[in-house]
Amino acid sequence: MTIGLGHYLTVAAVLFTMGILGIFLNRKNVIVILMCVELMLLAVNINLVAFSVFQGNVVGQVFAMLVLTVAAAEAAIGLAILVVYFRNRGTIAVEDINAMKG
Amino acid sequence: MEALLREYLPILIFLGLAFGLVCAMLGGSYLIARQNPNSEKLSPFECGFAPFDDARGQFDVRFYLVAILFIIFDLEVAFLFPWAVALGDIGLFGFWSMMLFLGVLTVGFIYEWRKGALEWE
Amino acid sequence: MILQALAFYVFAAITVASAAMVVTSRNPVYSVLFLILAFFNAAALFLLIGAEFIAMILVIVYVGAVAVLFLFVVMMLDINLTELREGFLEYFPVGALIGAVLFAELLLGVGIIGSGSTTVAALNAHGPHVAAIDNTRAIGRVLYTQYFYLFQVAGLVLLVAMIGAIVLTLRSRPGVRRQRAGEQINRTKEQAISVVKVPTRGGV
Repeated sequence: MTIGLGHYLTVAAVLFTMGILGIFLNRKNVIVILMCVELMLLAVNINLVAFSVFQGNVVGQVFAMLVLTVAAAEAAIGLAILVVYFRNRGTIAVEDINAMKG
Repeated sequence: MEALLREYLPILIFLGLAFGLVCAMLGGSYLIARQNPNSEKLSPFECGFAPFDDARGQFDVRFYLVAILFIIFDLEVAFLFPWAVALGDIGLFGFWSMMLFLGVLTVGFIYEWRKGALEWE
Repeated sequence: MILQALAFYVFAAITVASAAMVVTSRNPVYSVLFLILAFFNAAALFLLIGAEFIAMILVIVYVGAVAVLFLFVVMMLDINLTELREGFLEYFPVGALIGAVLFAELLLGVGIIGSGSTTVAALNAHGPHVAAIDNTRAIGRVLYTQYFYLFQVAGLVLLVAMIGAIVLTLRSRPGVRRQRAGEQINRTKEQAISVVKVPTRGGV
């Protein structure tokens, strides 16, 4: 009944798969896609922290901090792009974004 | 590990109690109170006339800029905590490492100040 | 120990369930709220294996800042919800297929099903390491000295995010009069007042 590394890895795998599935299901809604990316980064963080604790090496947690930083920066910039796009086009449908191709 | 988790046991008990209390109150009102809904009672009330549009008002973009800047400085503070705890162990190099980090973010702070991103028209 | 296992299963179940709600819920506002719930429970999972600092930072940064940012954007943009839901069921089979394949591969990779990896089993035998010093101090000891470059890169990433957000979303509106406290205070009597000799019956 003791909780091992495998339990944490399973939770992380389920979350990661959920994120992938969410990107497929909500192909039109960029906001939900960004949220799914956050979910996948959370799964990565769970893996890093679980391995770090079970190996007795704190580096995994240091790396989780950096992943957190990058995730926050990505959310900030991604949503800023979204706001500008919405201001110019009046919609956030992903399919129209290929108009940015040169 | 056991000792660490025992310190968090009160929080777990608190969460359990809060959840149980909410369930008891919602469930109690659902079971005991008289439920007699009709379409007029369930519709949103707006001084007698039908509501014109969605109740969700739009926010101004300026709130968003403030929220972004809050995230950045939130993370900066998050990096300060372990530094403050371990400052005795990491010596002068660790101290100046953090000063460089703070300096880089101060450049951004000066930039946003000069651009007027902090002003509220 | 039994309480720990029970808490793990409860928190893990709520995390996974709220992740599913993030993906499937009809309204983006609900998605954001379930995202907050998922992060809260993930923080509880981190606490259960003793990664206290990351757990608290997850609550502060994600629940306190990132989720609020998402909520702002959802509230800010007036989005046609039904239009965005189009193709939800259309993509479900292929998404579910790819998800299932990926999930099976992940489980195979870490050796939970089958006997792929011996590393996980070996690490499991050790159990979680009980830290000699507290978690926050252990992170602080290596983050600023041994991982100096990574730390500075994190600072630069934050700087770029800050400048990028300002460049993208800030627009100066012409014709807006701002308070300029310095100029207002520094105004002298000569600049502000002028004495005019008004001729009789002439007006100013």
